[in-house]
Amino acid sequence: MPSFFNTWLPFIYLYGVGGLFFLGGMIIIRKAKGIDMRLKRHRFWWKVLIFGFFYFMIMHALLIIVALYW
Amino acid sequence: MEQLHNIGTQTDWVVMIIYLVAMLLFGSYFGKYNHDTNDFFFGGRRFSWWLIAISIVATGISSHSFVKYSAMGFTHGFSSSMAYMNDWFFVPFFLFGWLPIVVYSKIRSIPEYFEKRFSPSARFFVTILQLLYLVGYVGIGFLTMGKAILPLMPEHFTLFGFELRVTLMGLIIVIAVITGAYITFGGQTAVIFTDLVQGLMLLFAGLLVFILGIDYVGGWHVFWNLLPTDWKLPLAHFNNPPDFNFVGIFWQDGVAGSIGFLFMNMGLLMRFMAAKSVDEGRKAATFNILFMLPISAIVVSSGGWIGKAMSLMPNSPIPANTQPDNIFVVVSNIVAEPGMFGFIIASLAAALMSTISTLLNATAAIWVNDVDRPLRIWLGKIKRDEKQDEKKAMLVARVSTVSFTMLGVLAVIPFGSYPTVYEAHGFFHSTLTPPLVIAIFLGVFWKKFTPAGVIATVVGGTSLMVLGAYHPGLLISPFAHGTPMTQVHPYTYISALYNTLVCLTVGVIVTLFQNQLRKLVHQIKKNSNHSWMIAAMNGASVIIIGLVLLNFGSLQFLLVSTLVMTFFVALSSAYYIKYDPVAQTEGLTAWSIHKAQQMFKGRKLNEREGEKVRLIWKLKEENDGTANFSKKDMERLAAHEGDLVYISDARKYLGGLKSVHTIFGKPHNEEGIVYITKDHLRNGLFVEGRPMEAEKEM
Repeated sequence: MPSFFNTWLPFIYLYGVGGLFFLGGMIIIRKAKGIDMRLKRHRFWWKVLIFGFFYFMIMHALLIIVALYW
Repeated sequence: MEQLHNIGTQTDWVVMIIYLVAMLLFGSYFGKYNHDTNDFFFGGRRFSWWLIAISIVATGISSHSFVKYSAMGFTHGFSSSMAYMNDWFFVPFFLFGWLPIVVYSKIRSIPEYFEKRFSPSARFFVTILQLLYLVGYVGIGFLTMGKAILPLMPEHFTLFGFELRVTLMGLIIVIAVITGAYITFGGQTAVIFTDLVQGLMLLFAGLLVFILGIDYVGGWHVFWNLLPTDWKLPLAHFNNPPDFNFVGIFWQDGVAGSIGFLFMNMGLLMRFMAAKSVDEGRKAATFNILFMLPISAIVVSSGGWIGKAMSLMPNSPIPANTQPDNIFVVVSNIVAEPGMFGFIIASLAAALMSTISTLLNATAAIWVNDVDRPLRIWLGKIKRDEKQDEKKAMLVARVSTVSFTMLGVLAVIPFGSYPTVYEAHGFFHSTLTPPLVIAIFLGVFWKKFTPAGVIATVVGGTSLMVLGAYHPGLLISPFAHGTPMTQVHPYTYISALYNTLVCLTVGVIVTLFQNQLRKLVHQIKKNSNHSWMIAAMNGASVIIIGLVLLNFGSLQFLLVSTLVMTFFVALSSAYYIKYDPVAQTEGLTAWSIHKAQQMFKGRKLNEREGEKVRLIWKLKEENDGTANFSKKDMERLAAHEGDLVYISDARKYLGGLKSVHTIFGKPHNEEGIVYITKDHLRNGLFVEGRPMEAEKEM
C-alpha cells in the first residue's frame, strides 16, 4: 500500500492550498462586483464556479480510491 | 542514450505530407479574412465560444505536448495528468477579473495594459519579459516537435551527391521554416480554423493510440493489473523524487503555470479576445477547463501509460534504448498500422505547429504594438494619436514573425540541455512567469499597486530570483517542503514558490511604503543636484544587476546589494513616473469592471436582457457605421439607439466567421429587415439572401 505521502497528502494540499486561492478569488470578484448577483447570467456563473471546484475534487478523490482499492 | 531512427514506413510519410499540405492550404484559405491588424491578430472579435473552445485544445494540448506528458506517464504513471486538472483555482480571477478587463479596455497586448495602468516605463520592462516568455515558449515548441519527428528520420540521407546527417537542430530549422510561412500569411483566423480541425484530429489520434494500446496489451483488465498501485495514483508523491514530485509541480504548474497560461499567455488571450463577447470567452474557457482538459490529460499521457504496461509484459516490444521523450512515437508505431501511424504523427506535428503559430502571432502583436509603434512615436515619425498605416503594420507583423521564428530556433539551444522536455518546460515556467504573474495579478486585483511597485517587482524580484538560482541550497531550501536537491535537478519545480514569494514581497512592500517613498522624493527634489542623485542611483542599480547576473561576490553581499538596488529602483520610479491613482485604475482593475464596460461602449449601459432576432439584410447608401433595425425588432432585442449589436450569418456551424459588431442606428418600420453599410458587408462577408441573426451586446 502506498504511503500517505503518495495518496491523500497531495490531495489535501491541492484542495487546501488551492482552495484558499479559489476562495480568495470568489471573495474578491464578489466584493469587487466583477460578478453581479443581480444579473441572472452572473448567478449562473457563480454556480458554475462552485461546481467546477467540487467537480475536480471529487474526480481526484475517486481516482485515488480506484487506484488503491480496485 | 542512443537516438532511435527510421521508425515508420513510406506510407506513413505519404500520409504525413498530405496531411500537412492540406492543413497549410486550409489555413491559407482564411488569409482572405485579414483586412487589417485587428483581423490578423484578433480575428475581428467575432467567433462563437465552441469554435474558440475547440481551437484552444490544439494550442493547449500541444503546448504541454504529447511528448513531455507521455514521457512523464511512462516514468511516473497516471500522475502525469496532474497538470491538466489543477487549473480551476484561478478561474474566478480570470473569468470575472482579467478577461473582462482585457476585452473592455481594448488593449492589444499585455504591455499596453501596463502603460495604461502604470506608465510607459512599466510597459517597457513588461515588453522585455513578455517577449522572452513567448520566444522561450516557441523554443520549447520547436524542441518538442524536433524530438517527436527525429525518430522517424533516417540517420543520414544523400542529396545531389552530398551525404547529409539528420540532426535535431537541422530538423528544427526545417520545421521552423514551414511554421513561419504558415503563420506569416495566415493570421489569427487561419490559426483558429486550422486549430479547430487539428484539435479534433489530435483528440481522435490520442484516443486512438490509447484504445489500440489497451487492445495490444490484452484488454483493460490486463492493462490495469500490469501496473503497480502507486503508479495508478492521480497525484505524484508529495516531495520525491526531485525530477517529479507533487508539491513542486503544484507551485510550478498549478500556480505559476496556471496563472501564467491564463493571464500572460498572449497567444491564449488573443484567442479569447477573438470571441464575439466576454460571455462567449467565459464559456470557451470554462468548457475547455472542465471537459477538454481532463480528456486532453488522457490523450497526451496515454502513449506513456501504454508504454509502461508494454514494458512490464514478458518479451516487451519497447526497445531498450527508448528515451522517455520518444515513448509516444515508439508506442504509436507499435500499435498502429502503417498509414495510421503517419496520421497520428502528422496530427501531433500539425498541432505543435499550431501552438508555435499562435505564439508567433502573439509575439508579432507585441512587437507591432509595444515596440514598433512606441519607437516610431519616440522617433517622431508618427504622432501618438495618429492611426497606424495598416499596410505598414501588416508588413512589420510579417517581418517580425519571421524574425521571432529564428529567435525561437536559437532558444532551443539552452532548453536542449535538460534531460526531458518536461523539465525544460518546468524550469522555464518557474523562472520566467513569477515576476509577470505577480505584476499582472497585483495590477488587476490591488488598486493601490503603484508603478514603483510594478517596476521593483520586475527588476528587484528578478534579481532575487537569479540569486536563488545561483544559491538554491541556501535561499530556496526553506521553501522546499522537503524536496531533495540534486545537481541535475536544483529545485527545478519548487523554485517557483520562492520566485513567486520574492516577487510578491517586493511588490507589496514597495507599494505599502509608497507614501514614505514620495516624501523621500520630495526631499530629494529640494536638493539642487537632485537629477544627478537619481542618475547615480540608477548607475549603481545597473552595476548591482551586473554583479548579480555574474554572481560576483558573496551571497550576503549580493543579497544586501540587491535590496539596496530594489530600493533605488523604487525611489527612481517614484521620482520619474507621474501617476494618477484615480484615472489610471478606472476601468483597469477588477474593482471597476462596470466602469470598463461603460468606457468600452462609450455611453451608459443597457443591461436589459433581450432575445436574438433573425433578419434579412439590405444595403444602405450612407456609410454612418450603424445598422438600422425596425422598432419591433429593437423591442425584442431590448435595445436602444446607440447600443452595441452583433450581427452574424444565421448558420451556426460558421461559428461567427461571417459577422460584424456595430451600433444600433435610427429605427425604421420594416420588421425583419436590417439595413447595413458597405463596410459591414465587406468585413462581415455576408451572402445575399442568407438570413442573419442579431443580438444586443450591451
